[in-house]
Amino acid sequence: MKASRTGTVATAAVAALALALAGCSSTEGDQGSGSSKELTFWGWSPGYADAVKAFNKSHPDIKVTYQEVQPGAKGGYQKMLNAVQAGNAPCLAQVGYETLSSFAAQGALQDVHEQAEGDESDFQPAAWQSVRLGDAVYGAPVDTGPMALFYNKKVYDSLGLKPPATWSEYQEQAQKIHASDPHRYISSPYLNYDYAGLSWQTGASWFGVKGDSWKVDLASEANQKVAAYWQGLVDAGLISGAPMYDQAWYAGLGNGNIATVVGAVWQAGVIKGGVKDGAGDWAVAPMPQWKAGEKAVGNAGGSATAVLKGCESTDAAWTFAHWLSTDRTAYGDLVTKASLYPAAVALLDLPQLQGKDPYFGGQPIYDVFARAAADVTPGWTWGPIMTKTTTDLDDALGKAWAGKGTLKDALVTARTKTVAELKNQGLKVAE
Amino acid sequence: MRPTGTAEQTAAAPKHAVLPGGRRGRETALGRRTLLLFGGPFAVLFAAMYIAPLLYATVSSLFVVKRSGLGLAPPTRRFEPLHNFAQAFGDHDFLAGLARVGLFAVVQVPLMLGLALGLALLLDSRSARAKGFFRLGAFLPYAIPGVSAALVWSFMYSSESSPINHLLEPLGVHIPFFANGAVLWSVANIVTWSWTGYNMIIIYSALQTIPAEVLEAAKMDGASALRIAWNIKIPAVRSSLVLTTVFSIIGSAQLFNEPAVLQPISSGAISSTFTPIMSAQAAVAAGNYPYAAAQSVVLAVAVGVLSFVFFKLTSRGENA
Repeated sequence: MKASRTGTVATAAVAALALALAGCSSTEGDQGSGSSKELTFWGWSPGYADAVKAFNKSHPDIKVTYQEVQPGAKGGYQKMLNAVQAGNAPCLAQVGYETLSSFAAQGALQDVHEQAEGDESDFQPAAWQSVRLGDAVYGAPVDTGPMALFYNKKVYDSLGLKPPATWSEYQEQAQKIHASDPHRYISSPYLNYDYAGLSWQTGASWFGVKGDSWKVDLASEANQKVAAYWQGLVDAGLISGAPMYDQAWYAGLGNGNIATVVGAVWQAGVIKGGVKDGAGDWAVAPMPQWKAGEKAVGNAGGSATAVLKGCESTDAAWTFAHWLSTDRTAYGDLVTKASLYPAAVALLDLPQLQGKDPYFGGQPIYDVFARAAADVTPGWTWGPIMTKTTTDLDDALGKAWAGKGTLKDALVTARTKTVAELKNQGLKVAE
Repeated sequence: MRPTGTAEQTAAAPKHAVLPGGRRGRETALGRRTLLLFGGPFAVLFAAMYIAPLLYATVSSLFVVKRSGLGLAPPTRRFEPLHNFAQAFGDHDFLAGLARVGLFAVVQVPLMLGLALGLALLLDSRSARAKGFFRLGAFLPYAIPGVSAALVWSFMYSSESSPINHLLEPLGVHIPFFANGAVLWSVANIVTWSWTGYNMIIIYSALQTIPAEVLEAAKMDGASALRIAWNIKIPAVRSSLVLTTVFSIIGSAQLFNEPAVLQPISSGAISSTFTPIMSAQAAVAAGNYPYAAAQSVVLAVAVGVLSFVFFKLTSRGENA
């Protein structure tokens, strides 16, 4: 199990980046002594504010100020990058693994490997790999995002359905569900990182590294297989029009009009928080497989407490980042409030991860995710301009899910635009 | 935005226009100090808040961010003054955004101002009742922040929740707010709703400055209400109309809030480059600040030229 975890997020890119960076890791040092012990932390996860309070209580010598920002893709990352550009960035920020390499590529992160030295073994190797580029360490991994199938058990039971083992079974269920009520759909459209999770499971990649060039695989055969599958559901009119995280989506999850969500562990928190009237209706099952008996899982999300460029009290920054990821009490609350799944090894046996969740009909849902975490398909790589890539992808995916254009074309478009932008910025692209 | 200042001045102008001539002499003595006192802070703020960012954007648009290999080393900036502009004029999405906003302005601005003028004339008419109430009522949408207004409208438009389509359902009518051809006008509807009252107030203020004798005389001569409106009132509010038109052109160019809020629920009909400002925003999100700056400069120049041409055209008519 440990070996496969190692492979989970440890990617070809990271290895290659390690080589690329081996010679040129920065030699910042003296400022690490950290005269100032006041620092600011930008994040958005529910529960972070209380964790910071607890930290300040237990660490009288460091004062962390927490400021809630918009979730990354909704503006938080932009705010951070702007602040770095302007030279007034906070010391610490919540940054998703998918965006970390983009941040690094924009020179927005600060290396804290000196402070982090010796703490590596506290984290799952895969999670550690995702905050590390070469010799540089850019923060502490907080959580990972193994995926599963959230399904409305009430709807499923009423139609005599069982959670699907395979995607083809899922497709049959989609038809039955829609046939039972024209307002009822099996799922809603997936965009950017949620969509990436679907490709990830299949073993498709979006990016790769070949020598010192980027490979952009968005439209590869494996990616097209995933696109073709969902295109089939779209064409048959089996996908709801409600965009994820929109009011209409929450309403659909609550009233049974959207019967499943293929999502990461943290989406348990999103569903619980946003769909109060669905309490007791929902349950979690393993992700459907392409072939019966296989065990492949995607990953969506997971984030780090990253140290941003310009942070002066790096010692204090690391102390906090490490504490947030490893403190049992604080993390226990984060599991409860934000459904985070720990990146720290010692936290995998937290009592909060064993509990039966009344929202999910008393199911111990983390059992499902614990198994999923071990089965996440290895080899996934994020690109250096993910914000651009996902923006272009979402523009085209949005249309495709609405029946204008196809998912496959969306992948091709996003690939073309990404390659053009990479070349435009001078990055090497392997054809 | 300089013209905003002129708006208030225009509305307030008549009050200060007639100064007793005798006091002029004393005022020149105080003039220089007063100028420093009031003009100084303005000049400083104007330079810091308006000129400096403008210069900064223009200068940074002349540079190109260059990275190499995998791009993990910090990017370098290279002076290539034409690169970003060449990219902008070859960027299909950006040009489409410009054209879209152009079309938007050509249709929405006359429509909104016609509506505002009509409302102002109605409110100004002799027989209008409860003027204060209607004036406030028409102005209220302007008081609602653009983003909130767009959020409310996004609920009205949403294919899942739209109460409008829900009400129309029994009639067999379904308005496709986010169909490719309709989405721009769904946005225009929100903008019109938000800004008509604002423009109406400016025009209405101008109507108040028409001397009562003039209107009285016209009436005595037997002019109908329509004729008074056409021959006296509308020419009298001409400068206000020019002004509100220029504001509206600038406002159209800056179209952002409404489409950005509607984007997530638009089923892809509103892309991240729907308007030029959104396009620049997307470039910033991609980490390409200089390109965003170049797009902004292109937009600013286009708006500047348009406003200038419009002013020229309308003032030529005035002289004739």
